[in-house]
Amino acid sequence: MTAFRRLDKGGRIDREKSVNFTYDGKSLGGFAGDTLASALLANGKTLTSRSFKYHRPRGIMSAGVEEPNGLFAINGNEPNIPATTVDLVEGLAAQSQNAWPSVDFDLMAVNSFAAPLFQTGFYYKTFMGPFKKSWMFYEPFIRRAAGIGKGSCEKDPDRYETAHEFCDVLVVGAGPAGLTTALVAGRSGARVVLVEQDLELGGQLLSETDRDFEMWRTTQVAELRSLANVTIRTRTTAQGLYDDNLVVLLQRHENHDAARGRPRQTLISLRSKAIIFATGAIERPLVFPNNDRPGVMLASALRTYLNRFAIVPLKRALIVTNNDTAYKTAFDLAEAGIAVTMADHRNVIPSDLLSRAAMLGMAMFPGTGIADVEGAKQVTRVQLAGNHSATIECDVLAMSGGWNPVVHLTSHSGIKPVYDDAIAAFVPGGYAKNHFGAGAVTGKFGFESVIKDGNAAGADAAKAAGFDKPATPVATIGAKDRAYKISPHWAPKTTGKGKAFVDFQSDVTVKDIRTAHDEGYVAVEHLKRYTTLGMGTDQGKTSNINAIGLMAELREMPISQAGTTTFRPPYTGLAVGAIAGRTVGLHFRPYRLSPLHDANKAHGATFIEAGLWMRAWYYAWAGSTPETAYIREMELVRNGVGIADISTLGKIDVQGPDAAEFLNRVYVNGFAKLPVGRARYGVMLSDDGVVLDDGTTTRIADIHYYTTTTTAQAGEVMSWFEYLLQTQWTDLKVHVTSLTDEWAGMAVSGPKSREALQLAFPDADVSNENLPYMGCLDVHLDGVRIRILRLSFSGELAYEVHVPAEYAGSLWEHVLKVAEPLGIRPYGLEALASLRIEKGHVAGLELDHRNTLDDLGLGKIAGKEKSYVGKELRFREALQAPDRWSLVGIELMEPDKKLRGGSILFSAGDEIKGHGRGYITSVTWSTELKKFIALGLYQGGLKHEGEDIICAFPLKNEQVKARIVSPHFIDREGARLNA
Amino acid sequence: MLDRRSALASAKPYTSSVLQIGEAHGFSLLQVAGLAKAISPITGKLPVKVGLAVTSEGRTLMRTGPNQFWIIGPEVDDIETKLPEIAIITPLSHSRTRIVIEGEPARNVLAKGVPLDFHHSAFKSGTFAMTGLHHTPVLVHCVGENRFEIYALRTFAVSVYEWLTDAALEFAR
Amino acid sequence: MRIPCPHCGQRDVGEFRYGGDASKARPAHGTGDMKAWHDYYFLFDNPKGPHDEYWQHVLGCRQWFKLTRNTATNEIGEQP
Ligand SMILES: [Zn+2]
Repeated sequence: MTAFRRLDKGGRIDREKSVNFTYDGKSLGGFAGDTLASALLANGKTLTSRSFKYHRPRGIMSAGVEEPNGLFAINGNEPNIPATTVDLVEGLAAQSQNAWPSVDFDLMAVNSFAAPLFQTGFYYKTFMGPFKKSWMFYEPFIRRAAGIGKGSCEKDPDRYETAHEFCDVLVVGAGPAGLTTALVAGRSGARVVLVEQDLELGGQLLSETDRDFEMWRTTQVAELRSLANVTIRTRTTAQGLYDDNLVVLLQRHENHDAARGRPRQTLISLRSKAIIFATGAIERPLVFPNNDRPGVMLASALRTYLNRFAIVPLKRALIVTNNDTAYKTAFDLAEAGIAVTMADHRNVIPSDLLSRAAMLGMAMFPGTGIADVEGAKQVTRVQLAGNHSATIECDVLAMSGGWNPVVHLTSHSGIKPVYDDAIAAFVPGGYAKNHFGAGAVTGKFGFESVIKDGNAAGADAAKAAGFDKPATPVATIGAKDRAYKISPHWAPKTTGKGKAFVDFQSDVTVKDIRTAHDEGYVAVEHLKRYTTLGMGTDQGKTSNINAIGLMAELREMPISQAGTTTFRPPYTGLAVGAIAGRTVGLHFRPYRLSPLHDANKAHGATFIEAGLWMRAWYYAWAGSTPETAYIREMELVRNGVGIADISTLGKIDVQGPDAAEFLNRVYVNGFAKLPVGRARYGVMLSDDGVVLDDGTTTRIADIHYYTTTTTAQAGEVMSWFEYLLQTQWTDLKVHVTSLTDEWAGMAVSGPKSREALQLAFPDADVSNENLPYMGCLDVHLDGVRIRILRLSFSGELAYEVHVPAEYAGSLWEHVLKVAEPLGIRPYGLEALASLRIEKGHVAGLELDHRNTLDDLGLGKIAGKEKSYVGKELRFREALQAPDRWSLVGIELMEPDKKLRGGSILFSAGDEIKGHGRGYITSVTWSTELKKFIALGLYQGGLKHEGEDIICAFPLKNEQVKARIVSPHFIDREGARLNA
Repeated sequence: MLDRRSALASAKPYTSSVLQIGEAHGFSLLQVAGLAKAISPITGKLPVKVGLAVTSEGRTLMRTGPNQFWIIGPEVDDIETKLPEIAIITPLSHSRTRIVIEGEPARNVLAKGVPLDFHHSAFKSGTFAMTGLHHTPVLVHCVGENRFEIYALRTFAVSVYEWLTDAALEFAR
Repeated sequence: MRIPCPHCGQRDVGEFRYGGDASKARPAHGTGDMKAWHDYYFLFDNPKGPHDEYWQHVLGCRQWFKLTRNTATNEIGEQP
């Protein structure tokens, strides 16, 4: 069964180029220039889809982005694509959705009998009402039936890009108004971008037959293409308007090919000095019983299928309207030899239309609308009602309820649209600065007036962008506009038994809206949520205004008072892939490599992500799993000598006459008296008195310091220093610069580390006398200045060797080579972090920006007399409470079990429930104590030293016995690091 | 024995008939903070505003802050020793990796990641911008009609280079 | 949203870091006045309309500056 056929000639399709595609696996043919929708119609596919809730048969209703019915999954991976927006390309595979086993025979149509399930406010009543439990009962059924389309679980095979673009004047839409404004602005010399969602420029002109229009169109397009300062983007939809004239465009590409780097879509963030909205208007349906049968179509769409795609109804068409524009469709069809019947809600019809209709032999029914539409899988017969009741046999029923200007983009800026009685539709309620409207979006539909206004808007926009040289206006064709007349008709008074659809995609009927009204959901925003009106992928482009009109009628108030819903981006559906762009896989986020990365790799490092850094976790020499390798690496450092990459530490150059004063202010401990050539451990607080970071600072020269921060807080501390110096302490003469990338660092640790350095730097004196604990020594090797700091994170005799980054790799190899006789090996992050636990050094896991100095056992380092950032608020009552969670050491008491990070701590007698008295921050196996040890925060801290606790790990349902001990597990006197 | 190693030493080369992306290794970078009038007798006339670069005696001079300059010179440069003591000098030669992108599509490739106007009329030779590329700070210096030098942080250089060459995949041979 | 850096010009908001309310003066270093610090650190107005703010051009010149942003429209006025 079919309602349409293709003509042998005419239209804009290229009959020389046939295109093969599949529909539900069946091979079909079309032509270049077809959309999927036109190709389906040409192949006689009148019934293409099933509706969302009731699985009613549906067909293509429109020829544009407003399409509510004809949604398909394209090429197996992208659902819910309107067939009207898909260019027909060779090999395209379209799959119908929402129907099982097929659209022709859909078992889910049984939904029609289960209709009470889908009563208005179903979700509200189920979830919010007194019968919440009913959800349990209905859920399995609903899950199976609900949801439009089906996402793919496969990786998206296509490539998507994002891009930034700038211009002086952006023109959205390339109908008569868009072409005019773009050309005028282009002639003024402004950089113009013209975007059009269609594959061709012209908008409504592409559906006209008049040769004067086509001549006008081709002339303007040719000139636009000749201007170097005009960029034309077809297949490009303006999806949203944001602050500062940012418009987000989605461009769809032909010939995309991921392997060759050609994206399928590009999401462009375009910033324009001025914007012209020439977005046109969308025809709205009329609401009558069974207005959703396949073969019922918008009148303008039928005209587009006729004139652009050479598709006509099989033999007979019925057109129902409340305005003049549908007559264009009627006349063109009649001229193409189709028998046309016209039903017009209006009693008074302009005489020129009547006489032309009579001339073409059309049957006319003034003051008449539709009572019912018959036909199971496509329209067969229509019952008329009103001044005339008659039964009309027809293949296609075309409807026009008037025109809705596309006010979406202008509304994104927060300017509400306003109701214009003259056209019975909403128009932009105004324009933001440097925004302009032109054409049908302003509520003007006549060609001549559109060109005239377009010339003015184009010149205004160019001027707003700084191009005020007057440009030659675009010529009109000198025709006379006829006045647009409409008599609004929102909904039938009664709908009988047939469902009269307002929102086709969400299956919302007149009855649903009446119910919402009766139940008090009268505000437009409530109506929307209660009925799901406009909530589909089409966002109610064909339904919202009819619903508002109907609700206003029910409330007996003017439409202007009923208001509209909020328009939000995106204007049309877009692939998530387009939003992600290339921010996927390897490029999901940037990653950071230590200057020693290649060297680490060469030494068999396994890497682990730590923030953005890829850090050497453990090395192959020590084992093949982290659990075993880190223990061998720890033993190496405790007994011999190891070398670790510590280049990720934040490093800051602090210079200037007031550098000492600056550091003295930001650190809780004193730095003013630090001698040149010496380093000091320091802790800094935020203004709120909470610990911000720790690190060491070395005095290089009188007014020159070298500060290190933790890896995690490096950026934060740098910004904080800059903030203080640039906005608060502007009188201090200090300059700070990040050296994190300039200098690499390696820790040489273990009892044999001094010997290793001696071998590495034979000319330097690294003796305990010349380089004591917390000392600093600059040495030279091959003319390269290298900075050795005697610091220890592990608790052993240890050094940090800092070197300009490009030399790091060869220095690392040098040290490993010359110290080979000492058994030196690299050790990784896991061992590094575990050694410090044994020593009781706090790190990122303890410095979580919630703890005070006292919580971490560092209270005594703060200067009593000196002032420092955070001092005042450090003494807030809550931060001084005696039962705060503070740093403790934890020893496992059950040798065959293990401790786990994140375990919740309870006192031995507590009920194991809730948040406990603290938690474990860091865990390691202690190579010295031969047991699991941990650092943690515990209520009251070391006051409970020696007490038994339970460490609960609910995720694994584990509870183990442990004991609170000092966090300094080894060498409490510091004999090793002072050795 | 000690040798300089580039962050991009093991990066995959990019080849295309219309676009070149690669590293320009071997330069010195000195950051100097201080008043222009104190520094310019040694360096030559310094640019008056942030975003402008000039060439003087084989070096590129950039103003990177209100009273802060970058001096980019040959790999071995002794200008550091000649600058007045009052200036605050920070050697940064190892901190940045210089990636060059040149060719007709260079501006389009950069526009994929940088929210700046790369139109010929807006981003001209001799100007630079400190901005973000792939979420990392970069300095993009236009040194010719379609030639740009990108100073990326050394530790992000591989990530930025991979991002750029992937962005340029459509132009690759 | 675009932000005018006083040194680099109009840039995308993604290059910046927000640095808080700039309408209040940070107490002088070492005041010892807990109440003043408390009020500075914890008490904020939440105006709809113009708001003085600190921003840092963190991916650019790294300079901190003040600007007035309308919290309802994101419109940026003169530097306060
Ligand atoms: Zn800046």
